[in-house]
Amino acid sequence: MVTYDDGSPHAAPRSLLGRAVFSTRHKTIGLQYLWLALASVLVGMVLSALLRVQSSWPDTAIPFLANLQHTPERYAAIRLLHGSLMVFFVLTAAPQLGFGNYFLPLQIGASEMAFPRLNMISFWLTVASLAGMTASFFCVPQTGLDLWLVSASIFCVAALLSALNFTVTTIDLRTEGMTLTRLPVTVWAWFLNSILSMLIFSVLLAGCAAVLADRLLGAQFFSVDSFLAAQPQNLVRQGNLPVLWQRLFWYFAQAEVYVAMLPCFGIVTHLVATFSRKPVWKERLVVLALCGVGLIGFCVWGYHMFATGMNPYAPLVFAVLASSLGVPAAFLLASWLGTLWEARLQLSCAMLFSIGFISLFIAGGLSGIFLARHDLRSAAVSEDFVIGHFHLVMGVAATFAILAGLFFWFPKMFGSRLNETLGKMHFWATFAGVYLIFMPMHWLGLLTQSHLLTDASRVSLAVMGASIRTLVTIATIGTVIAQVLFVVNFAQALLRRGRPEENNPWRATTLEWSVPSPAPLDAFAAGKRTVYRGAYEFRAGEENDFAPQHLAPELLSAKLAD
Amino acid sequence: MPGTTIAQDIELIIEKKTSDGGGGDLPPVDGGGGGDDGKRPRGWKPSPKRYYTGMALGIVSILMFFMALASAFLVRRGSGDWVPVHIPMLLWINTVVLLTSSGTLEMARQRLANGHLAAYKNLWLLTTVLGIFFLTGQVAAWRLLAAQGIYLASNPASSFFYIFTGAHALHLLGGVAALLYVAKRNFDQAQVTRTVAAEVTSHYWHFMDVLWLFLLLLLYVGK
Repeated sequence: MVTYDDGSPHAAPRSLLGRAVFSTRHKTIGLQYLWLALASVLVGMVLSALLRVQSSWPDTAIPFLANLQHTPERYAAIRLLHGSLMVFFVLTAAPQLGFGNYFLPLQIGASEMAFPRLNMISFWLTVASLAGMTASFFCVPQTGLDLWLVSASIFCVAALLSALNFTVTTIDLRTEGMTLTRLPVTVWAWFLNSILSMLIFSVLLAGCAAVLADRLLGAQFFSVDSFLAAQPQNLVRQGNLPVLWQRLFWYFAQAEVYVAMLPCFGIVTHLVATFSRKPVWKERLVVLALCGVGLIGFCVWGYHMFATGMNPYAPLVFAVLASSLGVPAAFLLASWLGTLWEARLQLSCAMLFSIGFISLFIAGGLSGIFLARHDLRSAAVSEDFVIGHFHLVMGVAATFAILAGLFFWFPKMFGSRLNETLGKMHFWATFAGVYLIFMPMHWLGLLTQSHLLTDASRVSLAVMGASIRTLVTIATIGTVIAQVLFVVNFAQALLRRGRPEENNPWRATTLEWSVPSPAPLDAFAAGKRTVYRGAYEFRAGEENDFAPQHLAPELLSAKLAD
Repeated sequence: MPGTTIAQDIELIIEKKTSDGGGGDLPPVDGGGGGDDGKRPRGWKPSPKRYYTGMALGIVSILMFFMALASAFLVRRGSGDWVPVHIPMLLWINTVVLLTSSGTLEMARQRLANGHLAAYKNLWLLTTVLGIFFLTGQVAAWRLLAAQGIYLASNPASSFFYIFTGAHALHLLGGVAALLYVAKRNFDQAQVTRTVAAEVTSHYWHFMDVLWLFLLLLLYVGK
């Protein structure tokens, strides 16, 4: 990992290729990640609708996938593609790599990332990984699995490189006066998440390398016989291939949950304070809680591997760790509610999506208790329950945080605003839609435990289950259609660009709002910012109710006197 | 990428002003050189600290990679199909070569600090040659084992032996590339000085050295 790149924002590339495609600028790369995420989320969403249609009406002929209904492998492959796209290229890419690349340097007053060329390399490795995972969908299962593993390894390398970049940037490139206590919570979240990523992804890379060596070179790290012998019997019965698919998916997903959620916590904390016009309640405690999430997230990632019998060590330890995630989560929740308490809320779309995130986080977190507790798990753990749980807490909640961030930062990135009315319609449709999809899924999960009941009640339960399934499918299709509102809003806002946009439309305090919208090539060309105060100095109720971080004390008092 | 065009346009305009001085691949000239009109302060000159931080963090990350494999090694060792690999004598000779290379690298850095550029270059080159010797020795050791019928796929112990030595060799190959790069590079125009480059590279090299001792110990004791 030795790079002596001296890519500075002024190393002028000659061609369009170098400027727009292989750019080393953090803002261009941030936007590239966001476009990647947008494309992935749209495809992933359509796939999820296909999955629902298939499970509700198995006889429907789906275009391009004509033989879907007869081959479980194709169904599993669609699920894997849906999961890979959403987890890797939406939940990981957008909040951390997209917003992080664009706004971390701006918020700490740096002109670039620490290693711009490395940044560009990690973006294109991510693209290669996306291409590989998508291609694996079209291969025969065995080849597809190998290709998927190689792509996942490439993603690990990309994640490691960008995590290194983020961490060094935060440590070494902060502008004058930007002490650790003055860092915005968003920066803390990106920073801690990068440290977590650096530890986790190298472990995952090692795992991938070992499995690939097993599959391609015949090595015996996880020889199949001893592997299968350790599996629960109901999984072994499905045959050996799905077990491996499933294991590997969980192996990644568990670590990914924390990697995806940490930056979302940061974004939501930031937005809740800004739109409540109040300081973050107990800011230090929030930062500590974020550290706690990172630490526990690091310890708990082995949970799925170990708890399912691959390792003799006590699963109880991991169950305790998984439950203890509730402690920092409760701190975060208390801080959000404390900030909202008696605040004059500005219910812009960004704020609505933040509050939606909090709601989904509570709802999903509550069902998580059932899964984390070792003794309750046997009752609650079933496919539909788990799917409902992690989609609420991870998938949809994180998507809400991403949308909140997008509404908030859109003016800074593109120089125009998203339409608030359309945005609110989109919010309410999506909010209602996701609850209609994932809450009933929990019930479906509990219904599968019906072997405890008598035959007669089982029949009526089966009828109920079928109608719930249909409801979920219809809600899924409705929610997917509602996203047209967002796409229209997004496209319209892009077309509106070019009109002058204020530097600081939300009256926010952090450094990115002290530069023009959209942020120019060298945002701090006019001179480095000096930071004089913390990131959340709001005074509710006053005319000038916020103190920007970069405003010198004498200028601030003049501004207050106006 | 339609969404990025505004930012791109701005970048384009600014670039026209600044890029007539130098080509794209040349390292940027510090302190307002090139064809700059001088209005924009070209203040971005980050401290070399980022290279040290980056290397330290990179080392932690690489360490985690090997620790993951090491813990897998320790857990897997208990299974029934484990046939220990006897470490060939050649590996101990290789170890001496690698340790010597760390010594010569340290000497090279001292010469550089004292301003003896020629002596530094010779010692630096010697380090590189020793590194290549080590890698050749590792390949020879693999062939030795293969001649005894011990392959990657033979049993779990041999799988681990090959992945540990292989992954370390791959990382050390990167180190050799870095040594060559620092030796060849023209530091007159670069943002990073020769001293910084030499120090950061030597941190990596010493880490590879210590890592190798750890792996050797693990393979020797843990077999």
